[in-house]
Amino acid sequence: MSNKYKILIIEDEANIQSFVGTILDANNYQVLTARTCSQGKLMLSSHLPDLVILDLGLPDADGLEFIRFARETSSVPIIVLSARTQESDKVSALDLGANDYITKPFGTEELLARVRATLRNSRYSAESGVLAEGSFSLHDLMIDYDKRMVTVNGNDIKLTQTEYNIVAYLSAHSGKVLTYASIIRAIWGASDPGSTKKLQVNMANIRKKLGAKPGENKYIINELGVGYRMCDENE
Amino acid sequence: MKITQLKDMLFALIIFAAAFAVNMVIKKFFVTDSLVPMVFILGIFLISLRTNGYVIGIVSSIISALTVNYAFTIPYFAFDLISPECVFSFIVMMIIAIMTSTLTTQIKEQEKSRAESEKEKMRANLLRGISHDLRTPLTSICGSTSAIIENYDLLKKDQQIKLLTEIREDSQWLTRMVENLLSVTRIDSEKVRVIKTPTVLEELIDAVILKFRKRCPNQEVQVEIPDEFISIPMDALLIEQVIINILENAVFHAEGMTMLKLCVSTSGKNAVFEISDNGCGIPKERLEKLFEGYLDRIDTHTDRSRSNMGIGLSVCASIIKAHGGEISAKNLKDGGALFSFTLEMEE
Repeated sequence: MSNKYKILIIEDEANIQSFVGTILDANNYQVLTARTCSQGKLMLSSHLPDLVILDLGLPDADGLEFIRFARETSSVPIIVLSARTQESDKVSALDLGANDYITKPFGTEELLARVRATLRNSRYSAESGVLAEGSFSLHDLMIDYDKRMVTVNGNDIKLTQTEYNIVAYLSAHSGKVLTYASIIRAIWGASDPGSTKKLQVNMANIRKKLGAKPGENKYIINELGVGYRMCDENE
Repeated sequence: MKITQLKDMLFALIIFAAAFAVNMVIKKFFVTDSLVPMVFILGIFLISLRTNGYVIGIVSSIISALTVNYAFTIPYFAFDLISPECVFSFIVMMIIAIMTSTLTTQIKEQEKSRAESEKEKMRANLLRGISHDLRTPLTSICGSTSAIIENYDLLKKDQQIKLLTEIREDSQWLTRMVENLLSVTRIDSEKVRVIKTPTVLEELIDAVILKFRKRCPNQEVQVEIPDEFISIPMDALLIEQVIINILENAVFHAEGMTMLKLCVSTSGKNAVFEISDNGCGIPKERLEKLFEGYLDRIDTHTDRSRSNMGIGLSVCASIIKAHGGEISAKNLKDGGALFSFTLEMEE
């Protein structure tokens, strides 16, 4: 039984902790819990969990503080639980290195899907690194990183350099929410006041070329006000 | 603050000059002197009515009294504070002028405090109504959960599932209610403006449809949006909530609906959002007060369904208002209802 994934839940609300713990336990994960930020830090160092589920509103310190601490030493994937009033914290958390977020209140399925996707995603990037090599496929979308080619259903999609770079970058981190700021940094390096707009216009063109319609985005999900996410294979 | 003071002073000056000019004309055509103070008092009345605070009104009262004494009583264009007649009329005029100005100002302040207490009352009503609405689902959640815990072995599996499903529905309703309340507090304090960030229309609609589909998986929504790239400054979460509230409203209330449509077009500087259905339409008597309906409903409380309609729509109205847009609702000729609101696009 030692080959179960270890998941650390850092959450001060006993009821939420209990229900998240129960769901994860029932789905064959090993659950560790912490009530405070400092307790969480200790558990992280001593138990080396495979995934952390972190509430942003902790009694002793900001949840962001935990992410900062964790990222100094480890690349353990972190899923943030955020309330609706913590919009800006959500973006900060992602920019600090959190992998994904779930907005409260959330359903069981949503939670499990994110946990699975995040674990799978971190396993891949641990093996192949961030550098995109070979190819990527999602439904009928194929990206050939060597030829810098994107096809849907075998049909060549003509993307500009920038558009290709964005799609490739998103696909290399598929399943993970990438904030506007992080995409801009990766594609253009420096950012200026018009950068977000530039990114949004490029994304609009990409959507059009991939044939996406509102409510029918098969490949790239809009995280309104936060960024974009390439779907994971099993979604 | 300074600008309004300057404006007030300018206004007082203009009225004063006008009163002076009118009196010069009167002096030319009529022999009587009794009209002169009247005209000035009218001027003071207007000044007190339009300016803030007591100061400007009182100052213009004194100046007017002095002017009457100086320019419009014998001896003309000289102060006469010696002859008893002139001194008396000067004092009377000043008293009348000052009293007029303080009275009008007082009435204005009373008006203001009354409006404030009205608002307080509304808030109290809202709280009362909300507490009432929250109690129902909470009671059923408490009851159902106790029933399951205490009779775990007696209840059949499908009975348990039924109770649990109801608990889930009730808590989902509560979530929606609380989301709306959060939005209200976020925009209620008039000083806090909504923080607008440029949002791509297509992304907004995409997010709305995904979220709506999760909540009402059986309801298809037809979408029509312009092809070009449109960016609208807004608080995306709030606008998302407006659209979802209206869509859900149709699902709950538009009986006989077979088609739900979300359509966005542009008109000049504005983006026009239209949500229409082909259901039963909105009863005429509700149409008028649709966007402030929550308060009415508290007293009557006829339908205790999970409507959430009143508060949902009044939240929509205040969100759109806070964005500087307009919201309206009407019935369609061929049946069904149309909700529409406008938002200004990015230049």
